[in-house]
Amino acid sequence: MSAAHSTSPLPGAAPAVGITVEGLSKRFGAFEVLRGVSFTVQPGEIFVLMGPSGSGKSVLLKHLVGLERPSSGRTTVAGLDGADPATRERVRMALVFQAGALFNSLSVYDNLALYPREHRLGNEAAIRDRVMRALQILSLENAVQKFPAELSGGMKKRVAIARALVMEPQLLLYDEPTSELDPVMSATITEIIATLRQRYQVTSIVVSHDRDLALAIADRVGILMGGELIFLGPPADLRNPTDPRVADFLNPRIDLEHPRFKHLET
Amino acid sequence: MTNNPQQTARVGLFFLLGMALIWVTFETLSGGKLWFKDKGYTLVAGFDSLKELKAGDDVRMAGVKIGDVALTRLAGRRAEAVLRIDSDKRIKADATATIVTQGLIGTGYVSIDLGTDAAPFLPAGGEIRTATSADLNSVMAQLGDLGRKLEGALGGLGTSLNGDSRQPGLLQKVDAILAENRENLSRTTANLQQITDKVNRGEGTLGRLLNDARLHDELLAGVAELKQGATQARGFLTNAEELVAEVKRGRGTLGALVYDQKAADDLKASLASLREVSEQLAQGRGTLGQLLKDDSLVRETRALLKKADRAIDNLDDTGPITAVGVVANGLF
Amino acid sequence: MPNTLSASPASRGTPSVTDRLLTWLPTPVFQVLHGTGSTLLLLGRTLRHVPSLPRQFGRFIEQCHLIGYTTMPIVGILSFFIGSVLALQSGHAGENVGYKQFIGALVGLTMARELGPVMAAVLLAGRVGSAIAAELASMKVYQEVDALETMNIPPERMLVLPRLAAVLTMMPVLTIMADLVGWFGGAIVSKYTHFISIEPASYFANLRQYMDFSDVLNGLIKAEIFGLTVVLVCCNIGLNTRGGPREIGASVTRAVVTSLILILVLDFFVTKALM
Repeated sequence: MSAAHSTSPLPGAAPAVGITVEGLSKRFGAFEVLRGVSFTVQPGEIFVLMGPSGSGKSVLLKHLVGLERPSSGRTTVAGLDGADPATRERVRMALVFQAGALFNSLSVYDNLALYPREHRLGNEAAIRDRVMRALQILSLENAVQKFPAELSGGMKKRVAIARALVMEPQLLLYDEPTSELDPVMSATITEIIATLRQRYQVTSIVVSHDRDLALAIADRVGILMGGELIFLGPPADLRNPTDPRVADFLNPRIDLEHPRFKHLET
Repeated sequence: MTNNPQQTARVGLFFLLGMALIWVTFETLSGGKLWFKDKGYTLVAGFDSLKELKAGDDVRMAGVKIGDVALTRLAGRRAEAVLRIDSDKRIKADATATIVTQGLIGTGYVSIDLGTDAAPFLPAGGEIRTATSADLNSVMAQLGDLGRKLEGALGGLGTSLNGDSRQPGLLQKVDAILAENRENLSRTTANLQQITDKVNRGEGTLGRLLNDARLHDELLAGVAELKQGATQARGFLTNAEELVAEVKRGRGTLGALVYDQKAADDLKASLASLREVSEQLAQGRGTLGQLLKDDSLVRETRALLKKADRAIDNLDDTGPITAVGVVANGLF
Repeated sequence: MPNTLSASPASRGTPSVTDRLLTWLPTPVFQVLHGTGSTLLLLGRTLRHVPSLPRQFGRFIEQCHLIGYTTMPIVGILSFFIGSVLALQSGHAGENVGYKQFIGALVGLTMARELGPVMAAVLLAGRVGSAIAAELASMKVYQEVDALETMNIPPERMLVLPRLAAVLTMMPVLTIMADLVGWFGGAIVSKYTHFISIEPASYFANLRQYMDFSDVLNGLIKAEIFGLTVVLVCCNIGLNTRGGPREIGASVTRAVVTSLILILVLDFFVTKALM
């Protein structure tokens, strides 16, 4: 978008980046969380990764930003090894944590200003400009001097997104951005994710089990189950799934006659 | 993340205060000397025995600390102390080092005298002349030993002469039988009495030793008395020998003595040990003389004798010679 | 995710001989080795960021304030009574033997060489070490540390380095205060206790006669070593916390206990080394 340059410093001066995941496996002790997962994400794409709790979605996300090292296989970001700490210096990636992971000892303003200050991106005035712009995008101007403990769940998630935005990321990763939110707030966050991509062409990967979000804004969807990718395709394909596991995950039928947990017991 | 300026100021003040305190401590403890201890230079002092000297003890010249003992080591058949001397303190080549043992808790130091003006200075690493100082411990040990022997000898003599509950003493027998020797015998007894008196006065000297500032002179006088006593003891011995010789000569008339061979042997043994005591006292004169020459020894004597307070207190009801034994036993 | 310590050496590729040996070790031994190693690695990683210390000046001052200024009162109170009781005990014991006049040197040397640094370090562990461990453990558990890493801000630079620098700056100050307050405590007790009654002048004269600045310096060196150890260990345990909020409490306990043990163990070896 041409607007990108006028709203600088937020939009990427550097181009959005692509991602590959090749045969990624991860074991914690004897427990295998990921089993040979492979997929690619195009630059500027919104990729939604779905799956039941404990299917390894968050772990996969941590591999992309180098917080976990693969047991085997590899991830690349813009062609660079994701496990190499140096990659984080070459590519600006931001991860929006599920619980926000805001710095509890810092005010909202200082939370956002931490990154530009630590990386010496301009003087205090320039940083203030940058922070305030990110807060405006997410309508958080009133929360500037608040501390994380004083914020509601939805506000925390928005502050976390704003903190990611300040980094002018080339890659934005969201871990469960709509979990634990009311439907209206979920919709708001979904709109924000779509808007950010639309405005700044940032590559976005969203880990979520929010079906509405996936169907509304995803370019492609992957479904992770038991550590394996059981579905990969555009959201349109999800409307008539061929795989019964995918169908069951997306439209779980509540059957009181034959409850699911009884199956599991046998 | 902006710091409260007050906080910054508090931290700054706190830190500067700490540094100031460290500086004050440094000035106070090390007297502002540039950095730590003066390295100085070393001298070697060889002794037969370092006694209670150990690394870290002082080295003093005329009582002023000029360094310390860096280390002690065994070098062949002698013991060596390496002395670290402050670099601004020079020592004459003819100065003499002695080891001084001080007080009851066994601290010692090396005392170096001033030497003479004409002598050159000792170079670093050189060897200093040493002298063995009179060791109060050995002096007192000898004195105590002597006392015990004298006591034993005179005690034995007493038994021989006066007898005990079981049998009449030799003296009674001799008295009864040897009327012609009465003169000799009374002279001997008089001599013995004289010794006892002398040593009695000696006891007084020992008592005053504790408190009197003119201690030095009196100790000297006391020792002179002791010497006199020794001379007289020798005189007495000669008399006693005469007596024995006379007893031997007059064997026929000493019928009773012949019957009592044991009493005669007792007398002989007593006289032999008395002679031994007398000789040792004569030798002891040398050691006692040494005691008087050395000022520090007198001071130590006072310290040691204080410890013997109780023993001295008991002197009143014991004989003078036993008292020496008590003092000796109390001390060691 | 359960990532047990003993499983980690073998988790990647074929385990080497060393790794297999390590898995055979009893768990406590392994944990001691793991703790030692990770602490030293943390120190190494932190030292790499020393050039960026000027940029951490704000955090450095903040930590100095916490470690030095706010810890001073308790260090003062404790040292005063330690010095007093030292004088009291040695006066009582020395009354009969007659070394009463050495109380100054005794209190002075004991405070400077031993109790000043050790007490400062113990209080540091209890007051600051626990706070460090709690803060970093909570940051770890609530993914704040992960967030820092994704922001390409090394936690060592932002969280560990200012604390290390602050403790190294403040330990000498705390220790000299502990020393001096302890000396004065001893002096006051020596004057006003009837069976000691030694004038402060002779108390300090004796202290000065038998003490050298090297004795104080010896204590200051010890204090620096203790301070560095406490902060490093507490940071390491905090940053290695895994699991939920319950683990924060466990980490704090472990950090303080480990610090205290290390202070006393190190004390022995450092004392020997400095003799």
